[in-house]
Amino acid sequence: MKPIRIFFAGVGGQGTLTATRLLAETALDSGIEVTAGEIHGMAQRGGVVHSFVLLGGYLSPKISMGEADILLGFEPVESLRALPYLRPGGRILASDAPIPTLSVSMGRETYPSMEKIREGIGKCTEKFFFIPCMELARKTGIVQTANTVLLGAFFAGGYLPLSLEDFLKSIEKRLAPRLVESNLQAARLGAEFMASA
Amino acid sequence: MNLLDSRAGTRSLLLGNEAIVRGALEAGVGFISCYPGTPSSEVPDTFFRLSKHGDFYFEYSINEKVAMEVAGGASLGGVPTLVTMKHVGVNVAADPMVTLAHIGTPGGLVILCADDPGCHSSQNEQDSRYYVRLAGLPCFEPSTAQECKDMTREAFELSARWQQPVMLRTTTRVNHMRGPVVFGPLSPARTKGAFARDPQRFVSVPAVGRVRHRALLANLETIRGEVNRSDWNNVYGRGKAGVIASGVSRAYLGDVLKLHPELKVKVLELGLCYPFPDDLVNNFLEDLDRVLILEELEPIMENEVRRICQQKGLTIQVRGKGKDLPLWDEYSTSMISTALHHLLDLDAPVETVCSVDQSNLPGRPPNLCAGCPHRSVYVQVRKIFGDNAVYSSDIGCYTLGMLPPLNTADFLLCMGSSVSTGCGMSKAVEDPVVAFIGDSTFFHSGITGLINAVYNRHDLLLVILDNRTTAMTGHQPHPGVDQAVFEGKPGRIEIEPLVRASGVNEVRRIKALNQKALSRAIEELKKASGVRVLIAEDPCPLFARKVLGQKRTKKARVAVSDQAALECVHTLACPAFYLEGEEVHINPVHCAGCMVCVQLCPSLKPETTGS
Repeated sequence: MKPIRIFFAGVGGQGTLTATRLLAETALDSGIEVTAGEIHGMAQRGGVVHSFVLLGGYLSPKISMGEADILLGFEPVESLRALPYLRPGGRILASDAPIPTLSVSMGRETYPSMEKIREGIGKCTEKFFFIPCMELARKTGIVQTANTVLLGAFFAGGYLPLSLEDFLKSIEKRLAPRLVESNLQAARLGAEFMASA
Repeated sequence: MNLLDSRAGTRSLLLGNEAIVRGALEAGVGFISCYPGTPSSEVPDTFFRLSKHGDFYFEYSINEKVAMEVAGGASLGGVPTLVTMKHVGVNVAADPMVTLAHIGTPGGLVILCADDPGCHSSQNEQDSRYYVRLAGLPCFEPSTAQECKDMTREAFELSARWQQPVMLRTTTRVNHMRGPVVFGPLSPARTKGAFARDPQRFVSVPAVGRVRHRALLANLETIRGEVNRSDWNNVYGRGKAGVIASGVSRAYLGDVLKLHPELKVKVLELGLCYPFPDDLVNNFLEDLDRVLILEELEPIMENEVRRICQQKGLTIQVRGKGKDLPLWDEYSTSMISTALHHLLDLDAPVETVCSVDQSNLPGRPPNLCAGCPHRSVYVQVRKIFGDNAVYSSDIGCYTLGMLPPLNTADFLLCMGSSVSTGCGMSKAVEDPVVAFIGDSTFFHSGITGLINAVYNRHDLLLVILDNRTTAMTGHQPHPGVDQAVFEGKPGRIEIEPLVRASGVNEVRRIKALNQKALSRAIEELKKASGVRVLIAEDPCPLFARKVLGQKRTKKARVAVSDQAALECVHTLACPAFYLEGEEVHINPVHCAGCMVCVQLCPSLKPETTGS
């Protein structure tokens, strides 16, 4: 396969690292060479989280500026902030549900409008999709499945030599039994959105 | 993934730190001690999780020095031993470590030292390979998860055979990478050994130390011969330009060479990096006209190569630290690509980074969680002392108090320094000094500073923020935590009697979330002089929920959104608050129910939660 670098950008406590791991393990199960990387520690407590999955024979555990083929944004502003990591012409799939920063909640800074965010991202790449991850996750009854919605969309997009089925199998194999049903539904909702987009 | 799987051949995606655990288990590790610290923590945490099912002995020690000493004892007793810590922990443990290298460690001792180039979660950036040279420790530097496992296992074998402690030196990217690892066979844990009494070797009085230093140097020369021939050090590629790389730089180099097959270089990869393999490197350099050294942080291999060139009369160009490759932060593929192009007198590819103006994006620094008892204490301390005190901080979540609006950290050195550095400050300035230390950090090395403060009659208000866990690094237990919580033996060490036994008379112990009690205690202690201690107790809300299984029974709601409520938002900076225009709201999902805001502001009211 053509090697692919996937960059994850999210907010501490959002489950970005769990999603990273799930993608990496799904790839490994399908016989794809994988290296993943993450930074623990200060990334918790509501800070920015960056993590990486490198498929197809990379040795490096991180992605530098301008290297990511795909940016998976789990939060709009964090997608914008992570843009320098995307290679020119790279692709972005991102959640459209803002998580306000503390300074925004306190009225000291303003959260940019979705138009501004789209405009910013549009300057770097035309290949981007915003996915209503939270809205779709609510349909499963468990909002924490928003990350799975995004991954479902990603798998359905055909960017990897892996199918949605591979991802669904991985959810069944790797998640705690009580979480399987809602996550399967979330993945399918993400995939359906992608198919209709 | 089961790290205790006895079968060989399983292939799993492991965190570098989990791979280190597997490697130690395959080697039959019998004794593990540690002090947690990012990026090393998942090694001890994984052992702790497995300890109910494994035969090995595991402990969270009180600090790194103690961890090194108990590990040293077990190894002297003939048991294969692992001790783990982050780079700054090695500073704390350096004293016993250096002497252990002198007297040797018959059972085998592997020291995991996790460096943090880029300071992802550390107070400084240092290169522990200097310790390797200072103490005389053969040293492995893995670059993949598989190597994390294999090198750890090998380090145990070599350490036992050489009877010398061996360092496994990692960096954040390696500890926190995930990669496929093929398991080897598991060995039974060797938890019992025999101590071969030999005071002329193991009692390092000056007469013995003198002899042992020479024995160590002789040992290292023998080991150097093995390192010269070691399979962990590989040569590949061809050309007149050479590259020598170690650690994660090897991974970056590998990717760059794959991406740019036009870059023709001869490569020497060092996995077993110390004692430096002089002969191997000398042979490698022979046909080259230039060589580039790839190593993060200090030019340690570079200096070794320059030494060899000088000794052997080689006139090749040695390149390393400089414009392309800095002494700080991490390396990357792009950095190494640039340095390689320049090595070959080629123009480096121009990087096109796609970017937008980020100056107006709202920042997202980490902050204290909703319901964090530290916030409650900080708010009350600031209310009483304001800017008319100097705030001495320490290592833990509570260092986040440095951010506005709390502003309760003015300086910080290292674990335990809040007490002693605060004492020094109090002699130098007129303003009172208030020091903050967490419970785990107090046990780590705050106690010695406190005894010193009492004995030397310092003037300091010490606030012990006792949240009953080591919160920052992932809720590890410490001597103040009842191990029964983790199905261990019951029993904990109380902080207050320790403080009193240290000679402190002015002691208050209150609930950290009780604003009135805090206010009274701080006012009283402000009026007193000498060493005063406030113990503010309330559990970390994450720990209470995840480990203790405590459910939230109350939450706060905005009864009236008025000026007082708005002020409360700006005083507390609690992430459960949000504004819509000027209207104050509390996110019912985020509110942890600490009720601090309700105590501060009449416009906010408690309500019981349904669940």
